[in-house]
Amino acid sequence: MFDNFDLMVAALWDGLFTTIWVTLASFAIALVIGAILAVMHVSPAPPARWAANAYTQTFRNVPLLAVLFILFFGFPKIGISAENWVWALVGLGTYTGAFVGETLRSGINSIPLGQAEAARSIGLTFGQSLSSVILPQAFRSVIAPIGTLLTALVKNSALVLAIGVPELSAQAQRLINDNRDRFDLWAVIIGVLISYLIVNLIISYFVRLAEKRAVFVR
Amino acid sequence: MSRPQESTVLFDALGPRGRMRTRWASIISIIVLAAIAAFAVWKLAAESFFEQSRWINPLDALIVETTWIPDLLNTLTAFALGSVGALLLGVVVGFGRVSKNPVVRFLSMIYVQFFRAIPLLLLIWIPFTIDGAFGFTTDTLGFDVEGRRLTFLVVGLAVYNGAVLAEIMRSGINALPPGQAMAGYAVGLRHGQVMRIIVLPQAMRNMLPAVLAQLVILLKDTALGYVITYPELLHGAQNIGRDYAQSFLQALLIAAFIYFVLAYALSKVVVLVERRISRKTASSSKAVRHVEAVASE
Repeated sequence: MFDNFDLMVAALWDGLFTTIWVTLASFAIALVIGAILAVMHVSPAPPARWAANAYTQTFRNVPLLAVLFILFFGFPKIGISAENWVWALVGLGTYTGAFVGETLRSGINSIPLGQAEAARSIGLTFGQSLSSVILPQAFRSVIAPIGTLLTALVKNSALVLAIGVPELSAQAQRLINDNRDRFDLWAVIIGVLISYLIVNLIISYFVRLAEKRAVFVR
Repeated sequence: MSRPQESTVLFDALGPRGRMRTRWASIISIIVLAAIAAFAVWKLAAESFFEQSRWINPLDALIVETTWIPDLLNTLTAFALGSVGALLLGVVVGFGRVSKNPVVRFLSMIYVQFFRAIPLLLLIWIPFTIDGAFGFTTDTLGFDVEGRRLTFLVVGLAVYNGAVLAEIMRSGINALPPGQAMAGYAVGLRHGQVMRIIVLPQAMRNMLPAVLAQLVILLKDTALGYVITYPELLHGAQNIGRDYAQSFLQALLIAAFIYFVLAYALSKVVVLVERRISRKTASSSKAVRHVEAVASE
């Protein structure tokens, strides 16, 4: 049992590291896209709302794997080429961005009308009431759903193995496929499952912590 | 006096100057969006994206017959079987979550927490790959190659989404005002009767939208059959792309469009159902206030 245990641990560790940075980088992209979409969703100009809606509907109704394939296999056909990890970040970021936008919008909508009315009645402009009254409150109420999106993103990042990014699942796949007799199958499987469990448990712990700290009485 | 829509809490009916400004903002944003779109179209045309043969080749009658239609049916089969499995598992585990027996409650909790933290891709791929590695193989069950792939895809979808649905079940039951169950006990019903007659019918209505929304996700997740080479839509698109390298992007876009149509139609059903059932359950605030009133008497 446990032949080449250190090699296996090193490979899984590499994969875990890739999973974490791919997740964090694409989450940053998703937050930026989501924030822009949320502002467009509540903007007074109808075309901005239509555009945000079209974007959201597209990404909500198309599988992430199809998005990644269109980017990785399709875009080079129209002369846009990039490294596979770039497409992984773009695909995960744009896809998750749509969900972040929806979450932020519902967070903004959950703020009682009176808050916006009060902000405007003391003479704040659209931008001012958004930035100093509505958004600070909205951010607090969306911490939990955004945390759920982050754990979903950790799981979704497994899909980028299909476009050749060596993250955790890809490493497990390689270990199992190439070295069937050298590595203990159970050790690889348990290792990869525990890695995902630990990452997600840590995230939900911090989300709960952040939620507790952000509690406020209105 | 038309207020734009409910989501815009940040401004109310605009005055003449505000309307003028909004109109200008609209016109400018339309121009900007149109410019972006025109630039994209121009770029795509330069790469002969719109060339007729690139679209006609993957939509050839023969290919539609041998690839698109069977693959669409395969996707729908996996979706149908996966949904049934996920719903069954969701109901069983969901009941376990609210069971009176602490052991059952604990086991269902472990099930939900474990399967919600693991990527679905691994839940489909690992069992498929290690099948046979530990002495037992599903080959002895008499599946052919296709049936074996379908089985693993469906089991993965059912196990994963079952965990999510169980959680939806639990929150649906917990969201019901406690006064409903109390009233049931008060008129002398047993636990099972309270669940069956009072709690479940209302909880079902509460959670139906969330359940249907999860089924939309399940439909999208059938694309993961790709990792075990189950011949679903995305897999078909990729095969077409191999045969017609010039139409690779077009084939993928067609597949994405089919997914979009299916998922969008399903999510429209969700909205319809939501609207139909919205007025039929006990609203929690009213019922809770009623319980308090009764308690203080």
